[in-house]
Amino acid sequence: MKNEQAKKYGMVIDLDKCTGCGACMVACMAENNVPFKKDETNKLDSITWMRVFQLTNGKSFPETDICYIPRPCMHCEGEHGHSPCVSVCPATATDYSQQTGIVSQIYTRCFGCRYCMAACPYHARYFNWWDPVWPNGMEKYLNPNVSPRMRGVVEKCSFCFHRYQRAMEKAFLEGRRELEEEEYQTACTQACPAGAIVFGDLNNEKHKIHQIVNPDPAHRGRPKNPKAFRLLERLGTNPKVYYLSSREWVRRAGDNYLPHEGSGKGH
Amino acid sequence: MDDALIPKGVKRCPLPEFLMKLGPVVVVLIWGIVAMFMCWFKGLNQTNMNDSYGFALWIWADLTVIALGGGAFFTGLLRYIIGKDKLKNIINFAVLVGFICYSSALLILAIDIGQPLRGWFIFWHANVHSMLTEVAFCLTCYFGVLTIEYLPLVLENRQVDQVSFFHHLSHNMHEVMPIFAATGAFLSFFHQGSLGGVAGVLFGRPFAFREGILIWPWTFFLFTWSAAAYGPCFTIMLAKITEKITKKKLIKDDVYALLAKISGWMMATYIMAKIIDTWYWAVVTAPSKGQGFMEFYSDNAFYGIWILILEIVVGGVIPAAILITRKGRSTPALLMIAVVLAVIGVSVNRWVMVLQVMAVPVLTFEGWPMYYPSWQEVATTLLPVAYGILLVAFSYRYLPVFPQEAELNPIDLESDETAESVTASETADAKLSPAKA
Amino acid sequence: MKMDRRSFLSFVIGGAAGTTLSPLPWKLTDDLAIWSQNWPWTPVPEKGEVSYANTTCMLCPGGCGITVRKVGDRAVKIEGTKGHPVNNGGICILGLSGLQLLYGPTRVPSPLRRTGERGENRWQKVSWDEALAWVAEKLADLRGKRLSHTVACISGTDGGTVPRLMERFLTAFGSPNFIRTPSMRDSYEMTLHLMQGAQASIGFDIENADFIVSFGSGILEGWGSPVRMFRANSVWKENGVKVVQIEPRLSNTAAKSDKWLPIHPGTEGALALGLAHVILKESLYRKDFVGTHTSGFDRWSKEVVEEWTPEQVETVTGIDKSTIVDLAKSFANAKKPLAICGRGKGNTAGGIGEFMAVHSLNALMGNINRKGGVWAVPGSDHIHWPEVEMDAVASAGMQQTRIDGAGTDKFMHARHLLHRVPEMINAGDPSLVQALFVLDANPYYTLSDKALLKKAWAKIPFILSFSSFMDETAQNADLILPNHMYLERYEDVPYAEGFNKPFIGLAKPVVSPQFDTLHTGDAILRLAKALGDPVEKAFPWEDYEGCLDDTFGDQWEELQEIGYRVESDFEPGSRNTAFETASRKFEFIPEESKDAAKNVMVKAEGEEPAYPLVLIPYDSPRLASGFIGDPPFMIKTVPDTVLKENDLLVEVHPKTAQSLGISEGKPAVLKTPKGEARVRVHLFEGIMPGLVAMPTGLGHQAYDGYLAGKGINFNDLIGPVEDEVSGLDAAWGIRAKLSRV
Ligand SMILES: Nc1nc2c(c(=O)[nH]1)N[C@H]1C(S)=C(S)[C@@H](COP(=O)(O)OP(=O)(O)OC[C@H]3O[C@@H](n4cnc5c(=O)[nH]c(N)nc54)[C@H](O)[C@@H]3O)O[C@H]1N2
Ligand SMILES: Nc1nc2c(c(=O)[nH]1)N[C@H]1C(S)=C(S)[C@@H](COP(=O)(O)OP(=O)(O)OC[C@H]3O[C@@H](n4cnc5c(=O)[nH]c(N)nc54)[C@H](O)[C@@H]3O)O[C@H]1N2
Ligand code: SF4
Ligand code: SF4
Ligand code: SF4
Ligand code: SF4
Ligand code: SF4
Ligand SMILES: [Mo]
Repeated sequence: MKNEQAKKYGMVIDLDKCTGCGACMVACMAENNVPFKKDETNKLDSITWMRVFQLTNGKSFPETDICYIPRPCMHCEGEHGHSPCVSVCPATATDYSQQTGIVSQIYTRCFGCRYCMAACPYHARYFNWWDPVWPNGMEKYLNPNVSPRMRGVVEKCSFCFHRYQRAMEKAFLEGRRELEEEEYQTACTQACPAGAIVFGDLNNEKHKIHQIVNPDPAHRGRPKNPKAFRLLERLGTNPKVYYLSSREWVRRAGDNYLPHEGSGKGH
Repeated sequence: MDDALIPKGVKRCPLPEFLMKLGPVVVVLIWGIVAMFMCWFKGLNQTNMNDSYGFALWIWADLTVIALGGGAFFTGLLRYIIGKDKLKNIINFAVLVGFICYSSALLILAIDIGQPLRGWFIFWHANVHSMLTEVAFCLTCYFGVLTIEYLPLVLENRQVDQVSFFHHLSHNMHEVMPIFAATGAFLSFFHQGSLGGVAGVLFGRPFAFREGILIWPWTFFLFTWSAAAYGPCFTIMLAKITEKITKKKLIKDDVYALLAKISGWMMATYIMAKIIDTWYWAVVTAPSKGQGFMEFYSDNAFYGIWILILEIVVGGVIPAAILITRKGRSTPALLMIAVVLAVIGVSVNRWVMVLQVMAVPVLTFEGWPMYYPSWQEVATTLLPVAYGILLVAFSYRYLPVFPQEAELNPIDLESDETAESVTASETADAKLSPAKA
Repeated sequence: MKMDRRSFLSFVIGGAAGTTLSPLPWKLTDDLAIWSQNWPWTPVPEKGEVSYANTTCMLCPGGCGITVRKVGDRAVKIEGTKGHPVNNGGICILGLSGLQLLYGPTRVPSPLRRTGERGENRWQKVSWDEALAWVAEKLADLRGKRLSHTVACISGTDGGTVPRLMERFLTAFGSPNFIRTPSMRDSYEMTLHLMQGAQASIGFDIENADFIVSFGSGILEGWGSPVRMFRANSVWKENGVKVVQIEPRLSNTAAKSDKWLPIHPGTEGALALGLAHVILKESLYRKDFVGTHTSGFDRWSKEVVEEWTPEQVETVTGIDKSTIVDLAKSFANAKKPLAICGRGKGNTAGGIGEFMAVHSLNALMGNINRKGGVWAVPGSDHIHWPEVEMDAVASAGMQQTRIDGAGTDKFMHARHLLHRVPEMINAGDPSLVQALFVLDANPYYTLSDKALLKKAWAKIPFILSFSSFMDETAQNADLILPNHMYLERYEDVPYAEGFNKPFIGLAKPVVSPQFDTLHTGDAILRLAKALGDPVEKAFPWEDYEGCLDDTFGDQWEELQEIGYRVESDFEPGSRNTAFETASRKFEFIPEESKDAAKNVMVKAEGEEPAYPLVLIPYDSPRLASGFIGDPPFMIKTVPDTVLKENDLLVEVHPKTAQSLGISEGKPAVLKTPKGEARVRVHLFEGIMPGLVAMPTGLGHQAYDGYLAGKGINFNDLIGPVEDEVSGLDAAWGIRAKLSRV
């Protein structure tokens, strides 16, 4: 294990394929014991580790166009693991793993100061404003690999880290130290009926994600694939979630630009 | 009834009247306590905070009271380290205000966090990279210092002082006070700064993000500076209000004038730095993230450009201009206007650095989330205000907070029947003045 | 004195210091923190041995294979089955939410007999013996009065063993009134029947098509077999297959298409003929196919060329003629173009004229029963039960006309016309339905024209629901005999909607029944037994599993093991033998029903100026629009531009809203000839001005607090519009008025 190659798990979501169906959202809720309330229409207090947003090109009928964009946690690497949220957490309740590139969240250590939420520009973090309550009997479907969170702590997408752990355990038992690409896949990737999500190790040239994204190590993983982009690339958050779109306006909607600035690929 | 507790040489209203007048304050206090327990037992769903406004009214109140409480460390610094001896006549009150502000800040934090029982993890599992860790350590230590600074005043209560142990303790504490003042100034420099750093390091939030020196963004220095500049104004404002309520002159004008002058110059230099910072941010930092200056102030009447003008011009340039002129600070009405504007100015600054940071959307497909506090939030925010009023009232009544009070308000000695009081007004004066350093 | 004070102080200070230095406060602090991490009211899921069980999802006609992850005896997650012919590992949002239905509070825990008024939701638990005896008594009584034909059953499906057992039960008992709920299946079956002479299901070889024109089909909303369609869409993206979506609203499908053509709703059929016009005029059709395999072409093409010029079609549809010409040419020049219809998810039948017009486009391109085209897929033939021996009562009953009029002279080609039933019940006195069974259907929610429905409902003396859930129909029934839900039972799923290969999936119990429920197959067998011969005689099986075993014979074990059966090398019949019409050819104008294609367009109910706008429904992939109530997970994914608290937001174009003086999020009253509702307004640039669009699948009154009362049921605001030739419900929308409040 000492000489294991550091992995950098990441995701690429093909927005041309994503239909906005929301299956990834529910796959995530089901896999990760995400609670729900009777009224979830206030999206500012609705826990959705994976949330599918809608982009609009801003044009009027019939030139209007929309595009769906699923937003898990970006597992930002920042500079050397200095992700926006990790660096601010006073209690080290969230951490950047140099081994996997996954930004963890330790619910039992988090004391709910919410500084990490203020730091995350993607609104990928959610606070448990309420005690999680399942209707009588429904707690039977809860997944024992992911502990339900108590009130008062922050939670977010973990890249289904428990699946990584399970896969590693199995590999160790079989005397292996490396995982095959398909051995560790997130619940949302697995569920997506459109096959729009590809998950894998960005450092591993054999993995599909590496081939699709073609990350440029000289520029903090910026994609060389001209169709690929990241959200808010300019902030320097260095996310590990990439998107693909053949539409220029969609790529541009991924970041902020001043009116005179050119396309998203220009910088 | 409580005559035995009241300092020598000063007059206080009868106890029933005193208690009666505090009645409404106690009601607010109880209201706040009820809300506090609701937040603790039912959780933060009692607030109107949400996932976009993880920081809201309380964090603003926290930052603001700490800025306003900055009068304590800065006055202490001036009095004990720089040697502005005249300020001994206001230092007690400054310390009292500081103590109230910092204890309030800690209480609010204990309500604001989602898991109060685990609050100590911030020390146990400390992350040295987090500004909040720095805040927590310095804040707690400085609160300890303030307690030590406040304690001698308590020990000087007429009855307590009769215990020789306390008398000597108090005396000895006065002896070492400069050390604490220096420690306090040092700690304050860092926690005021790191509170500024809290917002300034958010490189995911172009509205808050500032470049700076090493790990310290400009806001680090701006916050310390502004607390030093504006904190004394708050002390002055509260002292003036106390004078209004007690209908007594408690501090001589030259003391006010000195503090106001220093504060004014601090403010003038601060506001220049703030203007340069804002300009640099608007022209260099924000555009490098793809955001134009006016994007932060449009689309939303509540966070319009007026808020920047209110903060910098109305709450900064104008009070600074008043306070640096002799005429301005010596005209009571102008002085009052200046300190009130200053308090508003620094409060707006902290508001913007908390609330507007949360409101400005960063993702292009998100809008401006709105937030208004729930009554539980308002009540818990008023709780420290009520507590502060009570602490000022009781301190004023039973402790020798204002050394110049007896001199400025001589009382008819004939009417005072107690044996000791007849001895000499000098004694009373000695009792009322803080121990000499 | 001094000493006393001193010692007191030392005691206090020493005590404080001692306590602080002792482990006590630290231990307490730590314990409190640990307690906060393990609050007894935060559930801790039990651990256990992990296992996986494969079965078939029954929440929609998609036919997906699912794999249920279990921990001990708990089902904890549903995933798509890898390698399954329909969905190959993918799964939809509804399928993923299945465990919330299994363990949810909306399950009917045991047989329930109504105690209060209907709909009051007051029940008494009864034993299965008691409940079945009660039903048998009612049935025997009706049969005794020679009223066996007044027993009707509304069923969501008709091909599998359970609905077939029910149908068989009705036959032996003496009633022809087995009625399937409406969907695009009805129209497509009729289209195949009339134009190709086939008794078959429609299948689309979508994966191999290279140009798709969709006349409002919600390819990405849940049309056909949803997961398969999603996957196909991705394949199209990879291969550069063009999709043109024709519908008035920028739906998910439209957003993903290469070209979105907004059209006046209800005029899709006209556009299809407009395209045909161009293809005919430019002689772009496949002469080999049209020449040898079709009949009626000359007359049909003459009509189309005369009546459906691009100019006329532009006027009707609102799509300009150059676009029509371009689209027709691109379509015709593609190698394997495919035209599809059935609005949204296909939850409504639709006008036969429209379906035939669209299908004619496929015929013009010779795109029938060949790669990348439309296939007639024979119904599953796994059920070979002995003929029912009817006694005199049964025969007499079966001679009666069906209550919905399907198969009568007037509606000769229709098999099921559920929308006609309420009207027929209201017309008769006493009610033509004396007992109603409801199986895998929720007509009290899904049927339109609520006033008529409620009146009819009140006239039915006895209503029995077999629902596993307390849905609207169950809530308004007299007796509920809850079925095991799909994860607790065996059942064959005889087709996957729109799949181009004969397919049977098998649902298998992955958990034991959670409540005192009974398989509806067994309930039917026990009812038959209770009624005695001749009904009993028609059911020679010990129990339902025995029936399945017998039905599948030597294939049963293999089916159980694999979980499905698919004819993967199925090829549709050669064109020389495929068409079983009188002419043995594809008939552009069916001999059997020359008028069938007459009504290419069906008008929406209501008149201007009382109703200046048009209300259309839209389907969302995030809402189960109809038969299953949305589980909490799904409702959670619904955007706040659709549902805000309990208020439904209707979509209107900003210009329309402005003319009405309504702004974003503001309340309004939506009125149609059939009903009225309070809504809120969401402004959307992606909808044609003059329209109001409303999501389907909300407005439930039954179920639980996670669903009931949220939004408005579209079916409450619309009524059926009968296609006079086919009898099918062709309603696609209704005129409406929106006013501010
Ligand atoms: N996620 C999800 N998937 C599902 C379902 C679900 O609820 N949720 N439901 C499942 C079910 S029950 C089915 S049958 C399948 C198929 O899903 P479907 O049941 O096939 O969905 P539709 O009923 O076709 O969708 C109705 C659409 O028809 C349009 N419409 C209304 N009237 C007319 C008309 O007169 N003509 C035409 N052309 N269109 C009209 C409306 O605009 C609406 O968008 O989907 C299944 N898949
Ligand atoms: N307006 C409108 N009308 C529609 C539709 C629409 O979307 N809108 N959809 C149309 C379509 S495509 C269809 S398929 C039909 C379907 O809709 P309907 O045929 O009208 O009936 P459903 O409510 O779908 O029937 C499903 C019932 O089965 C129950 N159920 C689910 N699982 C089980 C089980 O395991 N056992 C038992 N006993 N019951 C179970 C559910 O509680 C529900 O009551 O509706 C059609 N009618
Ligand atoms: S499941 Fe796939 S297609 Fe559906 S919203 Fe998520 S990413 Fe998009
Ligand atoms: S997306 Fe947000 S929560 Fe996730 S790593 Fe980045 S900053 Fe942290
Ligand atoms: S809320 Fe929890 S994870 Fe976030 S910064 Fe605070 S302690 Fe860390
Ligand atoms: S990776 Fe796992 S945790 Fe993250 S959104 Fe997907 S399913 Fe949820
Ligand atoms: S598409 Fe239908 S059959 Fe497939 S998983 Fe979804 S609900 Fe089940
Ligand atoms: Mo259906």
